[in-house]
Amino acid sequence: MPEPPESIHQITEFERELRQNLARRPAPPSLKRRILEARTRHRTARFRNRIVLWQRLAASLVLAASLGGGYAWHHVQQQRKGEEARRQVFTALRITNRALNEMNARLAAHDRAANE
Amino acid sequence: MARTWQPDFERLVDEHQSMVFSLAWRMTGDRGLAEEIAQDVFLELDMHLDHLESPAHTLFWLRRVAMSRSADALRRRRVRGVDLWVEIDDHHGAPPEETTSPLGTRLEQLLTTLPEPQRAALTLRYQEDLTPEEIATVLDSPLATVKSHLQRGLKLLRAKAQSHLKEYIRRA
Repeated sequence: MPEPPESIHQITEFERELRQNLARRPAPPSLKRRILEARTRHRTARFRNRIVLWQRLAASLVLAASLGGGYAWHHVQQQRKGEEARRQVFTALRITNRALNEMNARLAAHDRAANE
Repeated sequence: MARTWQPDFERLVDEHQSMVFSLAWRMTGDRGLAEEIAQDVFLELDMHLDHLESPAHTLFWLRRVAMSRSADALRRRRVRGVDLWVEIDDHHGAPPEETTSPLGTRLEQLLTTLPEPQRAALTLRYQEDLTPEEIATVLDSPLATVKSHLQRGLKLLRAKAQSHLKEYIRRA
């Protein structure tokens, strides 16, 4: 059922009033200054955070390199010690072997002397 | 492709601060809160300046973000259990040099008593003079929903105005 014209007119009139009274309000005079100040603070904070982040990253890399290098050096040292220990064992075996050979020779000589 | 439009932040603030402030004020009914929202919106603009392609895009972006931030503020307020109507009485008063007519102030107050979706639709329609299609895009809402909010909001606001404003009745 169509609305009576009178009602439509009232709505239109009301809309006109609404449009007139809902015009944009002027922003407070201090708003722009506050926005610009907040922007400066925000940018400074972001810049500082970025510096701190890079510093932390660099420190992490140095630490990782130090730990890695330290482990590698330790590993090399362990290897070297292992090599040294092996050489000493072989030397000891050679000495022992020579001593045993000399002992055998003396015993053999003693046996020959005893038989004669 | 090189961007032809080089936005200047300060000039954008000059051009749009009243719009953003008004949207936030009409949505929240709180002048102080509207100033905070406006400040946040422009801080966000500064971070997204490189992504804005034209003055029209910027205007659309500002409207959308202003409405979104206002809705967030209202939601936080509801969580805190703050009575919006009391807030209006306490905070809606503007400095004397900025007040409109008593009728206008009353209509603004009544607007903030409407449900949020209707308030948003009416504010964009009668403050920003947007079509229902443009409102639907800004609010990311279906067109039919926007039209429904406009129709119901207008009807409700008019009914409130008629019952509250004796000076508005034009026919005896």
